[in-house]
Amino acid sequence: MWTQGSLRTQRLRAAYLFMLPGMAFFLIFYLYPLVQALWISLHEWSIMPGQDSRFVGAANYLRALRDPIFWISMRNTVLYTAVTVPGQMILAMLVALALHAIPRGRVLFRTLYYLPVITSWVVAALLFKFLFHSQSGLINYLLVDVLHLADRYIPWLQNPETALLAIMTLGIWKGIGWSMVIFLAALQDIPLELYEAAALDGAGRWGRFRYVTLPMMRPTVIFVLVMLVIGGFNVFLPVYLMTGGAPMHRTETLLTYMYNEAFNFLDFGYGAALSYMLAALIFLLSLFQIKLLRRPMEL
Amino acid sequence: MSRLKASAFRIGIGWMLLALLAAACVPAATPTPGPSPTPVVVERVVTPTPTPPGPVTITFWHAYNPEETKVFNEQVLPAFHQKFPNIRVEAQQVPYDEFRRKLLTSIAGGTAPDVIRADIIWVPELAAMGALEALDVIMPDFNAYKEKVFPGPLSTNFWQGHYYGLPLDTNTRLLMWNKEMYAAAGIAEPPKTIDEFLKVCERIKALGKDKYCFADGGTYGWAVLPWIWSFGGDLTDPEMKTASGYVNGPDTVAAYEFLKGMLDKGYLHPGILGGGVDTAGGFARDEIANLLEGPWMPAIFAAQYPQKQIQWALMPAGKGGSISVVGGEDIVLFKQSRNKEAALEFIRFMLSPETQLMMARVGQVPVRTDVIQQAVQAQPYFALFFEQLKTARARLPHPNWPKIEDLLTSTGQAILRGEKGAKEALDELAPKIDALLKQQ
Repeated sequence: MWTQGSLRTQRLRAAYLFMLPGMAFFLIFYLYPLVQALWISLHEWSIMPGQDSRFVGAANYLRALRDPIFWISMRNTVLYTAVTVPGQMILAMLVALALHAIPRGRVLFRTLYYLPVITSWVVAALLFKFLFHSQSGLINYLLVDVLHLADRYIPWLQNPETALLAIMTLGIWKGIGWSMVIFLAALQDIPLELYEAAALDGAGRWGRFRYVTLPMMRPTVIFVLVMLVIGGFNVFLPVYLMTGGAPMHRTETLLTYMYNEAFNFLDFGYGAALSYMLAALIFLLSLFQIKLLRRPMEL
Repeated sequence: MSRLKASAFRIGIGWMLLALLAAACVPAATPTPGPSPTPVVVERVVTPTPTPPGPVTITFWHAYNPEETKVFNEQVLPAFHQKFPNIRVEAQQVPYDEFRRKLLTSIAGGTAPDVIRADIIWVPELAAMGALEALDVIMPDFNAYKEKVFPGPLSTNFWQGHYYGLPLDTNTRLLMWNKEMYAAAGIAEPPKTIDEFLKVCERIKALGKDKYCFADGGTYGWAVLPWIWSFGGDLTDPEMKTASGYVNGPDTVAAYEFLKGMLDKGYLHPGILGGGVDTAGGFARDEIANLLEGPWMPAIFAAQYPQKQIQWALMPAGKGGSISVVGGEDIVLFKQSRNKEAALEFIRFMLSPETQLMMARVGQVPVRTDVIQQAVQAQPYFALFFEQLKTARARLPHPNWPKIEDLLTSTGQAILRGEKGAKEALDELAPKIDALLKQQ
């Protein structure tokens, strides 16, 4: 059989053969878990190997809609994304512009700003836990004992609102470097002639940024935006490591709540349903962003 | 700090001293489904095979604190390996807070350890899940051990007709009071009642803004239950059928209002709102005058704060008496174990008088009736723990306890933060616990 067939089918065979390892990897490690998670989400799942699980249909999904903690985690996830994505992008853009402008030391500063990105979340979270510690934290020390801006220590991580603030600060601090590097690369690709032409037309500093830099970087900015929004909705480690959802589940986000339900309370059915709801949300959002922001020649 | 609270969690007994003092009556208060002398039907007889000829390895997970781990690794394990050269025990210290999650993941993956030292509150859940071997079925000499241990701790292994483990150690919380701070406040004696405790707190607070009468790590069951019970309140009826009328009953409400008052007056350290208060360190630095703590503290203080003395007293009594919470650990064997005979030898060894006494030196209160006298001689402070254990009670031995405790913890936080009144918050909590009690 191998010797028969037209050249075209032979080529196709070869192509499929080359795709096989990648496809196998995708099927086993991506598609199978995805389908299995969907299956689990329709059950009251038993974690013991070999034990039966009860089929409950959409019950796990309906339960989420009536679950107040689900809505708290949804609100926190949206809030985290709404704050950290612009926060990271604006600060990263400022840093990129500054680094692009300085004549020397660019590599040094780029490395310094990129360090948080490659720092372990655990290390960074411990550091921030120390910074925001209610008794012996550096921030309270500065606010109360050095600057006298507050008259008593603020229990940052014990109040839901301030705890979220601390978590978001960590998220922004850790993410700036990643966007910065991408912005910097895009900045370096903008032809200098465009700036010269703009300058000749009388554009000032702001004008050059507004009418040259930003339009030229548009695809990059959209790419970073889409990636950061996906990352924002998937926030897990900073929350898990800094508060674990405490107090009273008020700092819970979708993924920490999912993790808690699945691995603490063994409610794998409910946990799987939560993760599917999150996946659907991210999918729709990304689709919406790309449709809305894309221009014909981009992406 | 939180590790201690953690290494602490456990359920209950209440009767232990009875056996010790050969007293008579059983305290009515224990909700533990009695270790009714159910005749155990042996369904399967495992012929006691001699220890396997070839070397086998078994895994053992525990959450011993550093002092306990040291004695376990340096004394208990070498003794076992010497006695059973063909059995290798790979012991792994797993932090308490991650223990349950790590364990459940490994069970689901089919790679459970052979044996663990399990918090007594985990056993009903693990047994209900079908993860454990029933020791009364698989262990031919189970009855010999059953007769040697206190019935209360033994009962924590009982689930639907079978014993799924053996008790390993037991404990409860006593009032640990700070003699130097008491002296500075002009108080000679520890409080016997909750009213006296409040008077102590008033005088301790007079020592300074940064001096606290009492501290605890949170509003979980291990922390709040001694107050609830001593106030005469409860979480559920004795049969664990309903929480309504109990968790929102007037005495439970009074206990939460007491804690809220303590916090508002600055008697109670705000660390109870979360964030990990260093209770032992605060005590050692004379910032905290009282803690509710367990028998592991002397060994910890000897290692970390050798200059600081610890004094013990019974839990201050309220309307409901002086009722503390029972803790402890059981040793259980997993169905997934491939070397059950070797694992059983290890379990036997852990329950031997020698091992029990070795671990007693670092505050692990033994469960064998025949070594108690020796243990108390070596550790005189154990006597007061046995006294408290006479009336101490169990956290709910219910498979849904983790979820119930999660709700209880959040409700306690809402009350102490003043977001809701105690009565209102507990009224909201009661039907939620009712629902969890129903599903099994």
